[in-house]
Amino acid sequence: MERTDNMLRLLRTNYIASQDEILDFPWQQYVANLTSGKALQAEATLTYREVLYMLLLSKDNDSSVFTNIVRARENARSVQDYITKELWQNLNDYYHLVRNPATEKIIQQDDPVTAMDLLMREGTLFYGTVDITMYRGEGYAFLNLGKYIERAWQVLDIVELRIRNMDATANEAIHWKYLLYSLSGYEFHTKEYQNSLQTSEVMNQVFFNTRFPHSIMYCLFQTERYFNRLDSLSLPENFKEIKFLLGKAINELRYTTHDMGGREQILHVIDTTRERVLAISGKLAHYYFGYSN
Amino acid sequence: MSFARLTETYHVPDRIWDEMCDRGQVRPHYQSFFQSLSEASLEDLSGKDDMAKKLFMSQGITFTVYNSGEGIEKIFPFDIIPRIITAAEWTHIEQGIRQRIKALNIFLDDVYHNQFIIKDGILPASLVYSCPNYLREMVNVPVPHGIYTHIAGIDLIRDSDGSFYVLEDNLRTPSGVSYMLENRNMTYRIFPGLLSQSNVRSVKDYPDLLLKNLMALSPRQTAEPTVVLLTPGIYNSAYFEHTTLARLMGVELVEGRDLVVDNAKVYMKTTAGLKQIDVIYRRVDDEFIDPLVFNPDSILGVSGLYYAFRKGHVAIVNAPGNGVADDKAVYPYVPEMIRYYLNEEPILKTVPTYALDNPDHFKTVFDSVHRMVIKKTNESGGYGMLMGNAATDEQIAAYREEVKKNPRQFIAQPIITLSSVPCFLDGVMRPRHVDLRPFALYGPQGIEIVPGGLTRVALREGSLVVNSSQGGGSKDTWVLAY
Repeated sequence: MERTDNMLRLLRTNYIASQDEILDFPWQQYVANLTSGKALQAEATLTYREVLYMLLLSKDNDSSVFTNIVRARENARSVQDYITKELWQNLNDYYHLVRNPATEKIIQQDDPVTAMDLLMREGTLFYGTVDITMYRGEGYAFLNLGKYIERAWQVLDIVELRIRNMDATANEAIHWKYLLYSLSGYEFHTKEYQNSLQTSEVMNQVFFNTRFPHSIMYCLFQTERYFNRLDSLSLPENFKEIKFLLGKAINELRYTTHDMGGREQILHVIDTTRERVLAISGKLAHYYFGYSN
Repeated sequence: MSFARLTETYHVPDRIWDEMCDRGQVRPHYQSFFQSLSEASLEDLSGKDDMAKKLFMSQGITFTVYNSGEGIEKIFPFDIIPRIITAAEWTHIEQGIRQRIKALNIFLDDVYHNQFIIKDGILPASLVYSCPNYLREMVNVPVPHGIYTHIAGIDLIRDSDGSFYVLEDNLRTPSGVSYMLENRNMTYRIFPGLLSQSNVRSVKDYPDLLLKNLMALSPRQTAEPTVVLLTPGIYNSAYFEHTTLARLMGVELVEGRDLVVDNAKVYMKTTAGLKQIDVIYRRVDDEFIDPLVFNPDSILGVSGLYYAFRKGHVAIVNAPGNGVADDKAVYPYVPEMIRYYLNEEPILKTVPTYALDNPDHFKTVFDSVHRMVIKKTNESGGYGMLMGNAATDEQIAAYREEVKKNPRQFIAQPIITLSSVPCFLDGVMRPRHVDLRPFALYGPQGIEIVPGGLTRVALREGSLVVNSSQGGGSKDTWVLAY
């Protein structure tokens, strides 16, 4: 669900940017980053409506919103004893909305923003339903662990995608503005940083600002917060190991210089942080779900 | 749907400049747009029209009408067909506005300091001193960077030959820019892909440019000056615009009661104590900004604000006293100001104007009143106006008596038949009259004009009154890049 929400925000922002700027928008690069399998085959010749269809509704794309929702619903079906009835209904509604031919028609023929807004609204309802109906137990802790790890991962991807798409001659401020829009952070930036859109301040917001809910540091702190709730439910050695990885990730990021102005420096921080997040995620899967890694 | 089908109801009266059609043929800059509509049916367009209304409502782009103690949300009518301006036309408009703003700014500096323009006999002293918006309190008061007209909205119209005329200057608190921004947001929703295909220039930089200029006016040497937007409050008709601009710039939206003056400095009350304010973008009229100096009954302003401004501790945008430059009785002198201050010929034309305190003008106007529009010099929004071609003999007689009581407060202009544009009304395309209000920002770095503006449209058939308070609407304004 978190992946879907981030993806929708990213697509919505970039779709709007493509409408309002006289720019050649690199849809193909977005497709390459957000698709897999068969979907990639014809990417060079796609129109923006086809791209949106592929990323939002395609059944052939393993990373489409459609696929995400179907999988989220299947997961929910298997843990119905841990989630509330309201939450299950919410996921069902989302599932039916994404399958509704009217949604496809809006994307294919009318205003895609309307369709994305409708989908995002279901996501927002999901978060609200979780918040006001879920028992604060094990299920809730795992749900939030997944949410914040996924969010950190998505933010790293989105920042990297933006940086790699910036050409040397471009006005950086425009790219930062759209990056912040896609992270729902532009209004926060205008208030907190006086709309400077300087690289170092945008990076400060995205990586370190603990009042910005899409910052990496915020996500790591929240991950740690919900992980701590598993203390009494865990084997001590497993808990300690993941606790150590979380502390390492947080402290490594905390003591990275805040003045990240250069492209290479930012990409390096992204790579390092991604490794740490991957390690945490892998250990969680190994110790708590018995998956491989 | 063919163009012929789309425009079969589109009949432009003679002697009117139509922005889209020239003798039955579509002008080149409209062809691409109508080509893109060729696959749309009238029902599709009606669907887009409905969608625009719903979006305006759901996004809260409304104004509230209070009736029987109950607020009713209404939307500012929006027409889905954009008004298109060519790159060459825009260059002409831009140069003309830049020239005009520059001259008007020098005029304000002059009229509040040395008054060379009066001493040299270009402008009668009586005209200046009889203007209710001339503030004696501003005489010999320096303003930051010598700029008075930070934000200006210049109303332009087109005569039957296509020439652009300035109808009026708005140099106090011009409004409408939020509709310019929202109309553009609406266009990409209802016509996906069309803006970029048509090479339409973007208007979205306006808030950034405005904030940059506001911050540059800070009297304190600080990297992060505190800028606020001062609003009269939630019941003001332009409150939506105030919130929109504050949000887009990331500045605090404040009311008079949120500010306090101490030791000639302005502070904002915050939960962490008082915070000094450097720049105030005020949307409160001069009369109400400081009850100690202007209207003592005002609760919209801040006591002591004017003193803080005079001491140079806070910048006020736009500067107080600008009303003397956009007074309708001063308007006919603007071409002379341009010649006097800039030694240039005016680029944009001015509508011939008769001052009704001149007995000869009074007679001329009322002898041919059916071809005239008579306006109050210090009113806006279409209030207090007489359209001679639509008024009854009784209305004219009553108005004549009104003018006689205080002729200085009235001017008259021949009725100029505004240009028309296609509007999609009740499921068909019809011509309606429009004006154009581009917005100019004057900062320490110079004058910048966002490529676009607010096109206001008179939605009633034959009407020439575009004001929203008089049944007008708006449409998106496209300025083509080339």
